[in-house]
Amino acid sequence: MEMFFYGFMRHAFQASFLISLIAPILGLFLILRSQTLLADTLSHISLVGVALGLLLGVSPTWMNLLVVVVASVLLEYLRSVYKSYSEISIAMMMSGGMALALVLMSFNDNSTMSLNNFLFGSIVTITKEQVLFLFAITLVIILLYLFFKRPMYVLMFDEETAFTAGLPIKGMSLAFNIITGMTIAIMMPIVGALLVAAILILPAAISMRLSKSFNGVILIGILVAMLGMFGGLITSYYVDTPPGATITLLYLALFFIMMLGEKLLKNK
Amino acid sequence: MQDVESIKNKHYIEVKDMSFSYGDEPVLSGIHFTVDPGEFVMLTGENGAAKTTLLRNILGLLHPTTGESHIAKKNMNGEELKVGYVPQQVASFNIGFPSTVLELVESGRYPKNRWFKRLDKKDKEHVYRALESVGMWEMRHKKIGELSGGQKQRISLARTFAMDPDLFVLDEPTTGMDSSSREKFYQLLKHNTTVHNKAILMVTHDHLELRPYVDKHIELLRKEDSPWRCFSMDS
Repeated sequence: MEMFFYGFMRHAFQASFLISLIAPILGLFLILRSQTLLADTLSHISLVGVALGLLLGVSPTWMNLLVVVVASVLLEYLRSVYKSYSEISIAMMMSGGMALALVLMSFNDNSTMSLNNFLFGSIVTITKEQVLFLFAITLVIILLYLFFKRPMYVLMFDEETAFTAGLPIKGMSLAFNIITGMTIAIMMPIVGALLVAAILILPAAISMRLSKSFNGVILIGILVAMLGMFGGLITSYYVDTPPGATITLLYLALFFIMMLGEKLLKNK
Repeated sequence: MQDVESIKNKHYIEVKDMSFSYGDEPVLSGIHFTVDPGEFVMLTGENGAAKTTLLRNILGLLHPTTGESHIAKKNMNGEELKVGYVPQQVASFNIGFPSTVLELVESGRYPKNRWFKRLDKKDKEHVYRALESVGMWEMRHKKIGELSGGQKQRISLARTFAMDPDLFVLDEPTTGMDSSSREKFYQLLKHNTTVHNKAILMVTHDHLELRPYVDKHIELLRKEDSPWRCFSMDS
């Protein structure tokens, strides 16, 4: 238990706890809207936010929030332009974001932060400020979820019947994209641009197969997320592996164990 | 209260000289009819007769090229009018969608303005009756993805019944039902119009079977290469 003596490990555990609460909620909605790539795209774009913030000498966190929110609005717009080929906008924004971030970073030679930090994240170097940001967004998401769980269910199930039932579907989609963008902007420096999507999506992907009810998926998802986040963090501390990657691999291991379990149960 | 008469005279659906084109391709033209409270209206037409396109125009999912199509804002009691739409392909939902039958049918109880309220006794009663009427109450704890096609169709209808809408818009709702369940379903709809003053617009292929139940029959017909027009088949 000596790891808890280190302030950075305490912060890392706090952040993991908060991420475990929100990942299954956002992850399930992203999966049901066939928007898992959205998470990936926004995390690449958030590299632009950080690079721009560092270049201009303003707070990377705020700059990042701004850039990602603008991008998520733009993506929702593009989604309606290319209705059945929404991957086109995803591909353009993902590679465009990455390219722009690399160019911006190349202008900035006195930066102490390397691209690697942001690509792979550094859950063990997070600051108290980052934990507070994460806490704020977690609170917002949980409150919104409790209030709007039912209309969101109706929207996820079928957009057209949601519309005819009188739900403001455009506003809801946009609000969802913006909240997802803000979460990704805050999570990105912690878990890394390349792994944000995995950490958001995998708990819900696993719990979807473990529960037959909507509420059950969220609750089991939170347990799965905690198992993966804490387990990955502890493993990475003792084995000295990169935390984000360890967490992701642990999730995948859980996924395969579950698939195997399903197979065994079926053959019984 | 002076508005009661004017509300009573209002149509739930009013389509006036409506036409619709996909791009340059005219699909519907000269569409003109009304659906009133307490009326059971059947819409027929051969395959490809743009019946679903017409429904989508009425519901606001598509917009008429010319003419008008309106759904009343208020029901006969002056409350916000609730529309229960059952699309044709509603039963082909993603089998991975994690939900029990009960959760799906309960979701019918949350139209706008009732988002945060808990389900009360009246809600539970509606959900129970809706599931019972399609014979799916026993299956309420099943995962929706595990049901057969016909069962999915029935719970989608149950969800709409649970919503207790003023206006039902149903697109071939009896696909996959056997003839005795179809008969039961028609009776249930008829009961909703005569006793509860609901309005129903239903697309169907079984017009001979449904004929005895409906108040109005609208058929989409066309001459070669012209857009589909509507004809009232009432005698």
